[in-house]
Amino acid sequence: MGCPYLDYRSEADGTEFDAERAYCEAAGRFVQPMRADICTDRHDIDHAEHCEIYREHEGPE
Amino acid sequence: MSYDAYLEGEPVIITAALTGGIHGKEANPNLPETPEEIGRAAGAAADAGAAVVHLHARADNGERSFSTDRFEAIDEAVRRHADDVVIQHSTGGTGVPAEQRAQPLRTDPPPEMASLDMGPLNRYEYLTSENTRGLVDALQAEMRDRGIKPELEVFNDGHLNEVHGLLDRRDLAAPVYATLIFGGGTLTPPRPRNLLNAVDNLPDGALFNTLGFGRHQLPLTTMGILLGGHVRVGLEDNVYYRRGELADSNAQLVERTARIAEELGRPVATPSQARKILGL
Repeated sequence: MGCPYLDYRSEADGTEFDAERAYCEAAGRFVQPMRADICTDRHDIDHAEHCEIYREHEGPE
Repeated sequence: MSYDAYLEGEPVIITAALTGGIHGKEANPNLPETPEEIGRAAGAAADAGAAVVHLHARADNGERSFSTDRFEAIDEAVRRHADDVVIQHSTGGTGVPAEQRAQPLRTDPPPEMASLDMGPLNRYEYLTSENTRGLVDALQAEMRDRGIKPELEVFNDGHLNEVHGLLDRRDLAAPVYATLIFGGGTLTPPRPRNLLNAVDNLPDGALFNTLGFGRHQLPLTTMGILLGGHVRVGLEDNVYYRRGELADSNAQLVERTARIAEELGRPVATPSQARKILGL
């Protein structure tokens, strides 16, 4: 399903890329490609469990 | 390998880690990501003195790929730009199932070398690349069957124990080749005495390669040259040329290392010499 804060953009804050890249709306920045695997719940990874940005943004349950 | 290798002026193998799988163009826009970009970077790095290129695969948006097809596309591009360089595929992959970790070994033709992570390491706050002994043995077995030489990646001193354990469990062709890795987090702290200690604890007859992340790349690889070892540089490990100045290219980092090695009296190994040294 993927992280609700994930967006794909080719430009933000004056930085441009040829291809759209993973952008974290919670952190307000493009993320590392490896972190994008967390955002997209790819492989054995789950953003709700493995992303500290998501967990911090969602706050304690 | 020892200081005697330095005194005797033995050739030093420079490995260029061109792209990696963690950061991308968001860290340095000069980091190559597409097959063609990686191929051109390999050509320039080889011209600058790299005998080995360490390769990861990425999708066009920079995200990690483990597919055999993508590695083959990258290899084809590398061969167009650097037809003699030794190709080394990564088998690393935090959070990635074992089956996918083996995909880079299954290209046609297979790579001459592939990385083999020697144990666990943490990523971010909630991820660990487990690298169990079972996975290490399975990847090593597939490398053996396909004629691929493992490059043993030693991320911390505990992994030196794992190297000895691997040699107890499995038959590895001589010479054993280990990359000693220094940085933050789970890695060996990047201090000169820790490189000396790591070298002292290698198995008899093992060759070593030195990898320092970030600002530790230059001093620790230089020290590795003095200790008779080989070195790895490139944008996977360090995106800066000097403090506050992004590197222009992988080749720029290779050129500096080649210049230092020559000044220190160790010629830079050609791919042919590297194959002989590594027993490929």
